[in-house]
Amino acid sequence: MHSLSRRLLLCVSIPLFLLFGVMGFVLDLSFRELSNRSLQQVLDSQMVQLIAAAELQPNGSYAPAARSLESALSTPGSGLYAQIRSPRVSTVWQSPSTAGEAIAFGPALPPGARTFSRATERDDDEVAVESRGIQFSDDPASGQTLTFSVAVSLGPYQKELWRLRTQLLEIFGGLALLLLGTLVLLLRWVLSPLRRLEREIHAVEEGRIDTLGSGYPRELSGVATNLNALLVGERKRVFRYRDTLGNLAHSLKTPLSVMRSALTGEVKTAGSPGAALGSEIDRMSGIIEHQLKRAAASGGALLGQAPVDVGAVASELRATLLKVYARKDLSIELAVELESQFIGDRGDFVELLGNVLDNACKWCKSRVRLTVSIDNLTFSRERLKVVVEDDGPGISEEDRRRVGQRGVRTDENVPGHGIGLAMVQDTIEMYGGSLTIDAAPLGGARFSIRLPGR
Amino acid sequence: MRVLVVEDEAALRDMLKARLTEAGFTVDVAADGEEGLFAALEYPLDVAIIDLGLPKLAGLEVIRRLRAGRKTYPILILTARDNWQDKVEGLQAGADDYVPKPFHFEEVLARLQALLRRAGGWASPELVCGPITLDTRAQTVKVSGAPVELTTFEYRILEHLMLRAGEVISKTELTERLYDEDFERDSNVIEVLIGRLRRKLDPQDQLKPIETLRGRGYRFALSRQTA
Repeated sequence: MHSLSRRLLLCVSIPLFLLFGVMGFVLDLSFRELSNRSLQQVLDSQMVQLIAAAELQPNGSYAPAARSLESALSTPGSGLYAQIRSPRVSTVWQSPSTAGEAIAFGPALPPGARTFSRATERDDDEVAVESRGIQFSDDPASGQTLTFSVAVSLGPYQKELWRLRTQLLEIFGGLALLLLGTLVLLLRWVLSPLRRLEREIHAVEEGRIDTLGSGYPRELSGVATNLNALLVGERKRVFRYRDTLGNLAHSLKTPLSVMRSALTGEVKTAGSPGAALGSEIDRMSGIIEHQLKRAAASGGALLGQAPVDVGAVASELRATLLKVYARKDLSIELAVELESQFIGDRGDFVELLGNVLDNACKWCKSRVRLTVSIDNLTFSRERLKVVVEDDGPGISEEDRRRVGQRGVRTDENVPGHGIGLAMVQDTIEMYGGSLTIDAAPLGGARFSIRLPGR
Repeated sequence: MRVLVVEDEAALRDMLKARLTEAGFTVDVAADGEEGLFAALEYPLDVAIIDLGLPKLAGLEVIRRLRAGRKTYPILILTARDNWQDKVEGLQAGADDYVPKPFHFEEVLARLQALLRRAGGWASPELVCGPITLDTRAQTVKVSGAPVELTTFEYRILEHLMLRAGEVISKTELTERLYDEDFERDSNVIEVLIGRLRRKLDPQDQLKPIETLRGRGYRFALSRQTA
């Protein structure tokens, strides 16, 4: 039950069905009562007619005069049956309609007794039977108690009852469905702002829009406003944080530049105080570079931030690197799958790809190749595959291991693969991606990186 | 070679000016973006060094505007925010190379010389035209393998002519690029220097490396040799 509309639907439909059930049951009960009463009346009137029509026969038994018989009693299988028992002469008169039927009219009764019963006729047809014990006062052989019985087949009544029941079910069922349908439509309407909220939050997550829209109903507008405030606040906070770090780096590096330039000349003499200071300045710059950059990397997608177009970043970096490495006869091949996107911060991605490509350009003889593809097979988030190859000398096993190691103090430079690659490694880890280094078909090193993307 | 340094940090600016002058450049300086843009648009420069974080007008904007003003000389950017986004933006705006702070001066000098060579169409730091070889790193000149002693100004004129070998360079342009703006200019000095250069490079008057084009200027006439 994780859906509000399902819960509401259930809440409403249970009482609805209970109500209709009880109504149906009560109606059915009164129908049955009504049909019983009319059956009773039929039986009573037939009984009275039978008693009135009974005449003493020459043999001392009673039977109705044939002319006074109702046509239904003379037609076999009509559904109306009668019997008169005259115990003195042990004779039983049965209406012609009983021909071929075996109806259990029940035992003989004492005078004044009256019974109702139901009996099964052949073919499982039920009949209602009324019997009365009667003594005629004008009977010459007085003391003889006659038992009059009238039976009516229940078939037609039951048929009628079923017809009524079916009708009831149809009407109530239809009504219930109609109500439920209306309810579903109403719920959809009532819950549509929630659905919109859900859609918009999703769009924010995917970076298609940056904040939630307006025009939510009163109950939700507070939530939407607060969410927007949170989104904007978070973004502002991150930007301010980065700005501060950038300013900090700037304000630390400029005096370091001045110090370094003031030392020039003295540095060349090994063992001099200038040389020692110079190496300390280098270390400090390294730490500032690495730690501040690391702190400024966002390490995840900010909500509402658009995904990064990998192709655009790649071609910008390519143009930049070709300019920077103009002294080298360099070719950078790009093979970027169309519309591949990195899910995360643009700055992080530019930094990461810039560093890997820069490293490749630094070490290559003349060729660097960047291949970007989107993995459709895996269901993981890390579907963006970035491969950078070069035709340089490659990286030794030992250095590969060092670059791949977690927690290595990377401000102690791995010669030639220093801060830049440590930074790359950090960023990949923050995004939960992976980095493998092996030999490229071009001859140099191959960096294969997996990152969240689509 | 005339270089403009736009840097707001006085200590750094002074250091760059001193060391660049020492390395044989004529140096103009500016302390903020507006001043820098003015100098960049008005002075006859060979190269500019621009810090990205400038007061009044951001370095990126200075670069954009001077490129919009059809200035084609190479630009080297200095940046304390050493990240790729800034590098990409800087180079897209029209800069040609970058050096992150804190830098070694030697790095700046090497990048600057490389930019100048590239702007003149040279790939290697050694400029070779016929038997004359000029090493921009060591600032030495050899003719047929024999070293030639040149004064600073003589070297600067030769470097300028050789970097743009084949092009006509006016006397005014040479003067402007040899002296600071406040220096008293005398075009006769150039004629004297050219005469001395010719005697030193070509004592037998056989090579005729420097042509005089009447009323137009000078041209380095020996064809370039590409490595």
